[in-house]
Amino acid sequence: MSITAKHVHKTIGKPPTRILHDISLEIKEGEFISLTGRSGSGKSSLLYLLSGLDLPSSGSIVLDGHSLLTMSQHELCRFHNEKVGFVFQFHYLVAELNALENVLLPARKAGQTLSRLPHAQSLLEQFDLGKKMNRLPRQLSGGEQQRVAIARSLIMDPKYVFADEPTGALDTVNGELVMSIFRECNAKSGTTIILVTHDPGFASLAQRQIHMMDGKIT
Amino acid sequence: MIFIALKYMFAKPRQTILTLLGIFFGTGAFIVLSGMMLGFRAYFVEQLINNSAHIRIQGREDFLTDHSLDSSFFGKSVQHIFWNPPPSGRKDRAIIENPHNWYQRLASDPRVTAFTPQLTISMILSNGNASTPATVTGCDPLRQLEVTTIGDYMKEGRFEDLGVGGNRLVIGSELQKRLGIKISQNVIVASAGGLAIPFKVVGIFKTGQLILDSMSFANLMDIQMLNQTPNQVGEIAIKLHDHTQAKRIANAWTLWSSEKIQSWDEISASLFNVFRVQDVIRYISVGSILIVAAFGIYNILNITVMQKRKDIAILRSMGYRTRDIVTLFFLQGLILAVTGMITGLIAGYLVCRYLATVPFGGSPLGEGTGHLTISFASKIYIHAALLAMSSAILASVLPAQAAGKMTPIDIIRSGAE
Repeated sequence: MSITAKHVHKTIGKPPTRILHDISLEIKEGEFISLTGRSGSGKSSLLYLLSGLDLPSSGSIVLDGHSLLTMSQHELCRFHNEKVGFVFQFHYLVAELNALENVLLPARKAGQTLSRLPHAQSLLEQFDLGKKMNRLPRQLSGGEQQRVAIARSLIMDPKYVFADEPTGALDTVNGELVMSIFRECNAKSGTTIILVTHDPGFASLAQRQIHMMDGKIT
Repeated sequence: MIFIALKYMFAKPRQTILTLLGIFFGTGAFIVLSGMMLGFRAYFVEQLINNSAHIRIQGREDFLTDHSLDSSFFGKSVQHIFWNPPPSGRKDRAIIENPHNWYQRLASDPRVTAFTPQLTISMILSNGNASTPATVTGCDPLRQLEVTTIGDYMKEGRFEDLGVGGNRLVIGSELQKRLGIKISQNVIVASAGGLAIPFKVVGIFKTGQLILDSMSFANLMDIQMLNQTPNQVGEIAIKLHDHTQAKRIANAWTLWSSEKIQSWDEISASLFNVFRVQDVIRYISVGSILIVAAFGIYNILNITVMQKRKDIAILRSMGYRTRDIVTLFFLQGLILAVTGMITGLIAGYLVCRYLATVPFGGSPLGEGTGHLTISFASKIYIHAALLAMSSAILASVLPAQAAGKMTPIDIIRSGAE
């Protein structure tokens, strides 16, 4: 099983602006890939297309053998819930929920809140947040919030984790900590990691680097 | 989704409580207003049904029109007749042509409980220097007691004493006040024909209704004599076993009778129009409160949706469907509506229970019950619940739908923070 993109184009806005041009690539299961490039090169847009959060203007994307264009909303939501984890630059934690409740949000959708509770607790302990499970996001530091977001992305044991500049808002120490979590996750669980980053150092930790420029893979 | 919806609501308790209060006050106000209005109305209608006849048969009053006399003077051969001045006035006295036929018919009708012939005449009543115009109703006293509840309101004397005849009178308390007369004293009753006869006051009644208490009753034959119209009957008052059938029966009798026949609700049609106006005022006033509350819900949900755009994005990226997002925001409006409605219903009920114990005497309206008459009809509570729920649901639908239309990628691209 893998993610395959063939001749993918993406245009947005009015008048239409082409942000991705003839992208073709294949991501194999268990890979650790970094998408690099300057701001505006289209790396985040490609990440959202590969994850199924956005649809291509033309071309095809196949997720685990299913074409993105033919998947129903129900199938796509189920795919996102069970097989995909997202990590964003600005954490996107729900402010009214504590760390543990935030981690359990995907499990709540799947109706597995109780069965996934021990897993959520062990993830938070693993990320050195065992004593801060009941804290609200505003009571956590930026690095801690990002670790909660990563724990949330891993709660359903996904096959794919899509991370959009997860270290962008972190200091070096916390950035390295986050990267080590991704590497460990990839090595131990075989989770496919697709990471967008500006940082060449973090990008070099990936098995494969895909560099983008002006909406194309170079 | 209820877990997240509750978390959102508890995160802003002041905002939640303020919105809740709108629905609470709207629902409570509807129940209290409706309870008082419908309670008073039920009391009033009950008074109408019990204190007066269910059906009244009266001599038809025919009035002359512009062409009433055409055929009498010119036959049918002449057309286009113009009178200057045109004829006007009443054709004849309003009396029942053949009351005995009615007596036989009514006596054999199983739907009729009782009936009494009446002749109501405007007279001048005087006691020494004090004199006042008043209507005197001549009736069959024993039958009158069967048709109406006048006997229950006797303050002094007995209504049945009119049956003996010999120029006796039962007067209302207002009339007594105006004449300054006591029981067993004589009052001079003067008819329009100029005849003046002393009548002995044998009873005084007080119903609490000003109009009724300004009336007086006498034996039918005494009034016929005083009016110099022996055997004449102005109307027949009828009581039915089932007052709800009054209109249908009156309409059926009207088909074959030349008399004017009206049921109790037709006689009081203007009063029922007032009730309709009351209903409109009640719904408008409470509707205004609920509309304000609904706008409160709409505004708060709209703001919440805008503030929670990044939550919507992350929830959608986790596999939450459009339907889930709509439910998340709709539930907040629904929870507010249900909570405000239930607490409003309970508070409204408790206020009504309290109001029902408040003494309400000293005015005409308070005479009958001694305290405020409050309705606890289930339809009031059902209407209040429906009004509260529908206004809150309508206010929640639009923001919830707007939230459901947001896509995660649009929110991320717009840089939601």
